[in-house]
Amino acid sequence: MACCTYCWLLMGLLGLSYEVSKPLNQMCTELFTNRSYSCEGLGLTELPEQLPFTTEVLDFSFNFLYTLQHSTFSKLKALVHLDLTRCQINWVYEGTFESNIYLETIVFTGNNLLFLARTAFTGPQRLKHLDLTQTGITKLTFIPMQDLHNIETLSLGGNYIQSLELPPGFPTRKLKYLDLQMNIIQTISIRDIKALKQANNLTLNLRGNKIMHIEPKAFSSFFFYNLDFGSCINISVILDGLQGVSTVVLWLGSFLGADNPPIQHSTLQGICNISVDYLTLQYRTFLEFSGDTFQCLSKLKRLDLTHTSLSELLDLPQMNLLKELNLNQNRFSNLCDIHSSAFPSLTHLYIQKNYEAMDLNSGCLESLSKLQHLDLSRSHIESLDCCSNQLRGLNGLQHLNLSYNHNLSFHNTAFNECPNLEVLDLTFTHIIISNSQGPFHNLHSLKILNLSFSRIDTSKQNILQDLNSLLVLNMNGNRFESGTIFSDNFFQKAPNLEVLTLASCQLLSIEAKAFFALKKLKHVDLSHNKLIAFSSDVFSNHRNIYLNFANNRIHIIPRDLLTSLSGQSIINLSYNPLECTCSNIGLLTWYKQNIDKIEDSEETVCSEPKSLEGMKLFSINLSCGYSTARTALITLVVIIVIVVTFILIIRSLKQNQHQI
Amino acid sequence: MKAFKVVPVLLLLIYTAASITRWPTHTICKNNNLEVKYRSCDPLQDLALGVDSCSYVPGIVINIRIATILRYTINELSVDISLILNGQTIPIYAKQLCEQNHPEFQFCGKKKGEYIYYEGPVSLNMEGIPQGEFNISAQLFNENRNTVVCADFFIRNR
Repeated sequence: MACCTYCWLLMGLLGLSYEVSKPLNQMCTELFTNRSYSCEGLGLTELPEQLPFTTEVLDFSFNFLYTLQHSTFSKLKALVHLDLTRCQINWVYEGTFESNIYLETIVFTGNNLLFLARTAFTGPQRLKHLDLTQTGITKLTFIPMQDLHNIETLSLGGNYIQSLELPPGFPTRKLKYLDLQMNIIQTISIRDIKALKQANNLTLNLRGNKIMHIEPKAFSSFFFYNLDFGSCINISVILDGLQGVSTVVLWLGSFLGADNPPIQHSTLQGICNISVDYLTLQYRTFLEFSGDTFQCLSKLKRLDLTHTSLSELLDLPQMNLLKELNLNQNRFSNLCDIHSSAFPSLTHLYIQKNYEAMDLNSGCLESLSKLQHLDLSRSHIESLDCCSNQLRGLNGLQHLNLSYNHNLSFHNTAFNECPNLEVLDLTFTHIIISNSQGPFHNLHSLKILNLSFSRIDTSKQNILQDLNSLLVLNMNGNRFESGTIFSDNFFQKAPNLEVLTLASCQLLSIEAKAFFALKKLKHVDLSHNKLIAFSSDVFSNHRNIYLNFANNRIHIIPRDLLTSLSGQSIINLSYNPLECTCSNIGLLTWYKQNIDKIEDSEETVCSEPKSLEGMKLFSINLSCGYSTARTALITLVVIIVIVVTFILIIRSLKQNQHQI
Repeated sequence: MKAFKVVPVLLLLIYTAASITRWPTHTICKNNNLEVKYRSCDPLQDLALGVDSCSYVPGIVINIRIATILRYTINELSVDISLILNGQTIPIYAKQLCEQNHPEFQFCGKKKGEYIYYEGPVSLNMEGIPQGEFNISAQLFNENRNTVVCADFFIRNR
C-alpha cells in the first residue's frame, strides 16, 4: 500500500516538474497550417522542436532567448517573418540568420542588445524590415549594414543615438522609412545625412529628438515623402536647416501637455524656401495670430491646425491651392471667424470638437463652392433654423457631419443648398422637424443617413420623403409610438433601403406589413429591444438577409418563420430567453440543421427549463413525440385489446347460440 | 492511507490554481479620508501606476504616472471607465485617446513590446469623489479591442 502511495506521489511530482520545465511545445498556436505560429509569452527558452520546417511566420515574442546563434533558427529555413520582441536577447552572434535566406522581417523591439556580430544579418537575401526599437543602441555603427542592401524599413526609435552620422555603405537603395524618433540627436550636419540624398520618397522620422542645430543647406535638394520633426522645441531652427528641401509632408506638430514656445510672426518664414504640400502644426500655439504668420503657407495643399488655441483666422494670405483644412479642437465662437474666402479651392474642412459653442451664422462658407466634405461634429452647435442659410453656396457638398451637437431645427428647405449630399450624420444631435414636408426631401443622392439617438419624432410620416437613393439608415436609440413599428410608417418612403438598424429603440412589436415595401433590405439590426416575436415574416426578402434579433425577449420561434430563410441568410438570436422544451422543437430542430446561418452561437443559450439553463442551443438533444419502442408497445396493446375483444364477442355469441 | 493517495492530486490542483494569474493589490493613496487601491485585470501583466497627490479637489487635474510594456500596437487607443455596483457595470466615462492620424499623446502609435511611460495630468471632470466605498473598472483598448491596460480600483472615501 505504501509503495502504491509513493508511486502516486512520484507521479504527481513528475507531473509537476514536467509542467514547470516543458510547459509548451504543443502550446504554440497554429495560425495557418504548417506556415504561421504564435509562441508569444509562453516562457520558452528555446524554439520548440515541433515547429515544422515549413514555418514562414513565427511570433516568438515575450520569451527568453538571451543569445542567438547559427543553430537557433537553422531548422526553420522557410522563415519570412520573425518576431523576437522582448525576448531578453543580449547577444546576436555571427551567422544567426545564415540559413534563413527568405527572411524579410526581423523584429527585435525591446531587447537590450549588447552585441550584433558583423555577419548577424548575413543570409537573408530579401531582408526588408528590421525593427531595432528600444534596443539600447547608442550609435548607428553598432548595426552591421553590409547585408541590408534591400532594406525598406529601418526602425531605430527609442534608443540613445546621439549622431545621425550615417556610416559608409548605409543602404538607401530601397529605403522608404528611417525611424529615429525618441533618440538624443541634437545636431545634424551636411556630412551626417549625405547618404540619404540617394533615397527616393523617404520618410525620415526624427520626432522627439531635441534638435538644436542643423547645418545650413544640410537638406538642400533632398526629396522626402515625409519629414517628421514633431515635438521639436524650436521650429525656426528646423526650418532654417530645411532650406531647399522638397517634401510631401512636413510634420511639425506636438502633443497634449507639451510645453513648447509659441509660434511667432517670423517662426514660419523658413517655409518660403521649402517645397511642402502638407503641413501639420497640431498642439502648437500662436503668440499673436496674424496673417503675417502664414505668409509663406500660400502653396500648401493640406494644413492641420488641430488644437492650436485659434479663435479667428483673420487676414490670411490667399491660399488658392489649399484642399484640406483641419481646425479641430479650437475656440471659434462663430463659423464666420475662419474667413473662408482665403481658401476657395477647399474640398475638405474639419471643425470637430470646438471648445466654444459655435454659431453657424449665414453664408460663412459661401465661397467654398468646391467643398465636398464638411465635419462640424461635437462643436456645441445649436440652430433653430438649420441649415439652408448656413450651408449657402455649398452645391458640391457630399458628406456632412453634424453629429454630437445640440438642438437643430429643420424646416422645409433645410438642405436645399446642398442637393448632392450622399452622407449625412446627425447622430446624438437633437433633431426637431418643424414642417409638413420632409426635411431631406431634396436629397435625391443621399445614400447614408445616420439619425441614431437624435430623438427625432418618428410619428412624422415624411421623414424619409423622396429619399429614393437611400441605402443605409441608422435609427438606433430612437423611440416609436407604443413601442411598435406600424404598417403605415415612414420607412416606406425609402424603397431602396438595404441596411436598416433599429437597435435600442425599446421596440415591443412590429406590424405585419411594416417593411413590406422595402424589397431590397439585406441587413436589419433589431438588437437590444423588447421584442417577443422573431417576426421574419415582416420582411419580403428572405434570401440573403441578415437579421439581428440579439438581446430581445423571444421565447419561442415557430419553424415556419425560420424555414423561409434561404440562401446566405444569417440570423442572430443571442441573449434571448429561448425555451428548450418540446413547445420550441421547431426552432431546436431547424437550428441544428442550419448552424451555418447562425451568428454568435456561443451566446445563443437556453433559459428554460431550469435544468438546461445556459446550455448552448446546438448542444440540446430533445426527444419529443413517441419513440419506436413506445410505438411498438402501444401497437401491441391495441392488438391485444382487439384480439381479446374479438374473443369475448365470439364467446358471447356462442353462449347466445347455446341458450337459443 | 487514502489521504496519501489524494496528496499528489491535491498538489496538482494547488499548482494549477496557483498558475492562474492574479496580480497583487497595490495601494496608491491612503490617508484618513481617502484610500485608493488597484489591481491589474490584464491577464498578461501587472500595471505600474502612481498619483502625485492623495486628495481630490474638484476642477483640479490630478497628475499621474503610469508605466507599461505594450502587448499590442496602439494606433488607436480608447479608455472606458465604469462603476461596478452590485455586480453590474455602469459606464461613466469613455474617450478615444489616440486616433490613427491625429495622435493626441506622444505614446500614440507605439508598437507591441515598446515601453511607455506617461507622466501628466488626468482630468476627472467630477464634482467630487462620492462618499463611501465603491469599485471602478478602467480599461484601455486598441483598435482591435485588445486590452492594453486593465485595472480594477477600490476606493474608500470617508
